[in-house]
Amino acid sequence: MIWLELAIMQRALIGCILAGLLTGLLGVFVVKMKLSSMGYCMSHGAFAGAALGVAMAVNPLTTAFIFSSITAFFIGPVADKARLHADVITSIIFPLNMALAFVFLTLSPEVGLKSEVANVLWGSVLSIAYYDLVYLTLICTITLALIFLFWKELFAIMFERKLAEADGINTKPFIYFIIFLAGVVVTLSLKLVGGLLIFALLFNPASTALQFANNMKKIVFVSPIIGAITCVSGLFVSLFLDLPVGSCIVLVSTLVFALAVLFSPKRRRKGVPAYAD
Amino acid sequence: MGEIIRLENVYTTYEGEKRPAIRNINLSAHSNEFIYVVGPNAAGKTTLLETINGLLPPSGGRVHVFGQDVRKNGRKVRCDIGYVPQDFIVDPGEPYTALDIVLMGMYGKIGILRRPDRRDFNKAIETMRSLGVDKLANQPMGKLSGGQQQKVMIARALAKEPKLLLLDEPFSNLDIDSRQRIPSFIGRLHEEKGITTIIVTHDVGQILKQCNRVVIMNNGETITDEKLAEDTPPLKELYQILRVEVPG
Repeated sequence: MIWLELAIMQRALIGCILAGLLTGLLGVFVVKMKLSSMGYCMSHGAFAGAALGVAMAVNPLTTAFIFSSITAFFIGPVADKARLHADVITSIIFPLNMALAFVFLTLSPEVGLKSEVANVLWGSVLSIAYYDLVYLTLICTITLALIFLFWKELFAIMFERKLAEADGINTKPFIYFIIFLAGVVVTLSLKLVGGLLIFALLFNPASTALQFANNMKKIVFVSPIIGAITCVSGLFVSLFLDLPVGSCIVLVSTLVFALAVLFSPKRRRKGVPAYAD
Repeated sequence: MGEIIRLENVYTTYEGEKRPAIRNINLSAHSNEFIYVVGPNAAGKTTLLETINGLLPPSGGRVHVFGQDVRKNGRKVRCDIGYVPQDFIVDPGEPYTALDIVLMGMYGKIGILRRPDRRDFNKAIETMRSLGVDKLANQPMGKLSGGQQQKVMIARALAKEPKLLLLDEPFSNLDIDSRQRIPSFIGRLHEEKGITTIIVTHDVGQILKQCNRVVIMNNGETITDEKLAEDTPPLKELYQILRVEVPG
C-alpha cells in the first residue's frame, strides 16, 4: 500500500485514530448523561460555524469552534437560567443552526459544492492538516486528564443526576463541561466526517460498547477503541470505493452497532431470573 | 436535643403548576427523633422530603437543616443526609454493580478530587453485609430483584453515615421476611447512633416501635403532627377521626 507512505494519508490515518478515540470516549458521557439531543445541536452548531468560515474566507475551524461554544452556552447555562427544558432548547437551536448553515452556504456560491463547502458537509481526508493533529492530540490529553480527575463525579451523574445531587455533588459544572467538550471534539473532528454526520461518531461507538459490557470502566475503555477502529475502517472503505470518507465512517459504525445489537450477550440473557434472595 | 430540621410556612410548587404540592408546612425535628410521615397518594409526602433535602426549591417559606438554609447550602447539607427515593429501579442493561451504587452515595461526602479509599470500600461492604446484600456486591444492579435493589439503595443511604435519614416508601418492594428484618435494622441503627429518621409511607401497618412521632398529610398539608404516647389512638383510628381515606 504505497499510498500509506504519503504524508497526507498518514495525517488522515492518525486523524481518524485520534478523532475516533476522542468521540468514542466522550460519546459514553453524552449517551449516559442523556445529552444526545444536545450532541445534535453541538454538531450542527459547529457545521453552521464552519459554513460561515467558508463564506467569509476565514479558517472554518475557528468559526466552527466559536459557533459550537455559543451553542454550548445556550443549551447549558442559558437554558438552565431561563428554566427551559432540554427538549425545548434543543428543538429551537437545532433547526436554527441548520438554517444558519444553509444561509452561510448560499453566501458562498462561487465555491459551490465542489471544494471547501463539500469538505464541511461530508468531510475529507485531504483537508486534515498537521495542526489539526496537534489540536486533536492536545484535546485528547486534556479530556483524559479531566475524566481521570473527576471520574467519580461523572460516574455518579451518569448513573442518575438527581441522586448525585441528593448526595451533595454539584452536577451542573460537570454537565456543562461535557457539553462544552463535546463542542470542541465535534469541531476538531468536523473535517474528517463532515458537519451533517459528525454526531453519529459521538453516539455509535458508545452505544455499541454499551451492548457488551456490564462495567462502566470497561465501556469507557472499549468505546474509544471501537471509535478508532470504525474511523480507520471507514477511511479504508472510502479509499477503496472512492466514496466520501464521512459517509463511509458512519456506515461502518452503524453496521458495527447493528452487529452488536444482534450479538449482544445482554440481550441473550433476557428472561434469566434475578439473583435469588 | 438539637434542632435538625425547621420548616416555616413552606410552600413548594412544581414548575408549570399553579397549585402548590405542599402548603403552609411548619415542621421541626430534633436529633434522635424517628418520624413517620403518612398519608394517601398525592398527599405531598415525597415533595416534603425533597423540599427538606433541597432537591426541590420551596416557592415560599424557609427550610433549615442542621441550622443551615438549604437554598444556600443545599449541597453541604445533603452530604450528611441519607436519601432513599421512592420506587427506584435500575434497568437490567445498566452497567453498574451494587457496590458501585453504594459507593456513589459516599462521593459527595468524600469530596472532589479524592478517590474512595480502602476504608470507604470496607464501610460500603460492611453496610451491605448488615442488610444481607454483601454477596451481591459485584453483581449488576439491574439484574437484582426489586427487593434486593431496595436493600442496596438503603445501604447506599446508610454507608455515608448520615446525620439525617430520609426514606421514601423504603420497604415497598421487600419480601415478607425483609419487611420484618430491614425496618427493625433501621430502628436499631436509630437507637444506637441517634440518626434523625423520617420515613414516608402510605402503609399504616408498618410503624416501628422506635417511631416517636407521626405526621399525617393530606392534600399537601399536615393535618396532624402527633408525638406518640401510650394514649395516642392507633393510626387507623386517627385516620378515621380525621376522615382521611385509609391508604393500603
